[in-house]
Amino acid sequence: MKVEAIDYGDRRVFSVGAFNRGVASWLGRLPSVWVEGEVTELRRQERWASVFFTLKDPLEGACLGVSMPRGRFDALRLDLADGDRVHAYGRPELFEARGEFRLRALSLERFGLGDHLAALERLKRKLADEGLFAAERKRPLPGLPRRIGLITGNDAAAKRDVLTAITTRFPPARVLVAETYVQGPRAAGAVVEALRALCREPEIDVLVVARGGGSFEDLLPFSDERLVRAIASCPVPVVTAVGHEQDTPLCDLAADARASTPSLAGRLVVPDLAKLHDRLDRARSGLERGTRRTLERERQRVDRAYERLTRAPRLLLERGRARLEHAAGRLRALAPPATLERGYAIVRAGDQIVRAGTAVSPGRRVDVELAEGGFGARVEDTR
Amino acid sequence: MTEEPTFEQAQRELEEIVHRLESGEAPLDEALLLWQRGEELYRFCRERLDSAEGKIEELAGRAEAAKP
Repeated sequence: MKVEAIDYGDRRVFSVGAFNRGVASWLGRLPSVWVEGEVTELRRQERWASVFFTLKDPLEGACLGVSMPRGRFDALRLDLADGDRVHAYGRPELFEARGEFRLRALSLERFGLGDHLAALERLKRKLADEGLFAAERKRPLPGLPRRIGLITGNDAAAKRDVLTAITTRFPPARVLVAETYVQGPRAAGAVVEALRALCREPEIDVLVVARGGGSFEDLLPFSDERLVRAIASCPVPVVTAVGHEQDTPLCDLAADARASTPSLAGRLVVPDLAKLHDRLDRARSGLERGTRRTLERERQRVDRAYERLTRAPRLLLERGRARLEHAAGRLRALAPPATLERGYAIVRAGDQIVRAGTAVSPGRRVDVELAEGGFGARVEDTR
Repeated sequence: MTEEPTFEQAQRELEEIVHRLESGEAPLDEALLLWQRGEELYRFCRERLDSAEGKIEELAGRAEAAKP
């Protein structure tokens, strides 16, 4: 659309009407969107073509004038009262005659707590389907973080509770605190920014996001999709302690650990120093005990081996002696004297041992040897 | 130690060493090496605990900047 201007030398000047027409035409190119707010100052008259009201942002107090064709408004039968929460669908518009900016609504829906819950439920299902809340995504918390990042509001309670819990349990803890908005429309973005800022700091091993209790709406930023995603994709484990036990903002589901109070969150991120010392000392004495036991066992093994070593030759000797005795016994048993002991005699004729009667003839002298001594004899007859 | 382990890694290794030593399965040479390594780990862990000094800082500058 062409906007006509008047030229005064090198200055182009627009009439008010032309200026408004130009801005109106530019605004007219913006898309239709949904806007949420509370209805105030509703003005409706039978003779007007449009209904007028103001939408107010309950958190920031920002205001937006809205007009809506009366026929459409009446057809919805919303029976709106001051303070009712609505979603208005429309596009920005400039009322050219007065240069007033407002939202030209085409549709209007009541939006209450129930709708908030339903929207949260949808978001929760969507993120769950993506696996953001899956148990296998949860990372273990560090046993001894080098440095702890704490994100909290500047309200004293939650911050103090976390810090007290941390320093009581583990006095040498190092904590980096980032204070941000934890309520209102900027909170989600501010917490996400604090999360990123803390992650850029060196040696941060774990993050705590703590916020005290509040109304359902106060805690809504902690169910914000951006924040939930930022927690899920945070490079270090995140512990959340938001609201009270019964509140479950979505950020709790994406966090690696969830604490029901800020104090408990503090206890989760640091070890108990006294117990840690005990455990280390136990390991130390185990180390000594184990080494001593191994040394003792090895010493005994060497001793046993040495003993066997020295015993070995003596054993051999004894075995040899026993074998010798056995042989000697057999030898003695078989030798002639032993036979003579049993009553046998050896008969010799000259040098020859007499083994048969025919080897001698009557009258021949023979020598008889007995076990003890012997005698000479003559042969009487032979057989 | 080539790369500095975290406290928990050191603590876990120390306890594994103790377990191995106490099981009595390690031969002497290994036991002596384990003991040496265990002492090293113990000293490392103690140092980590004793040298740490409690410190609470505010990320003031950046948090302010983050506020719109």
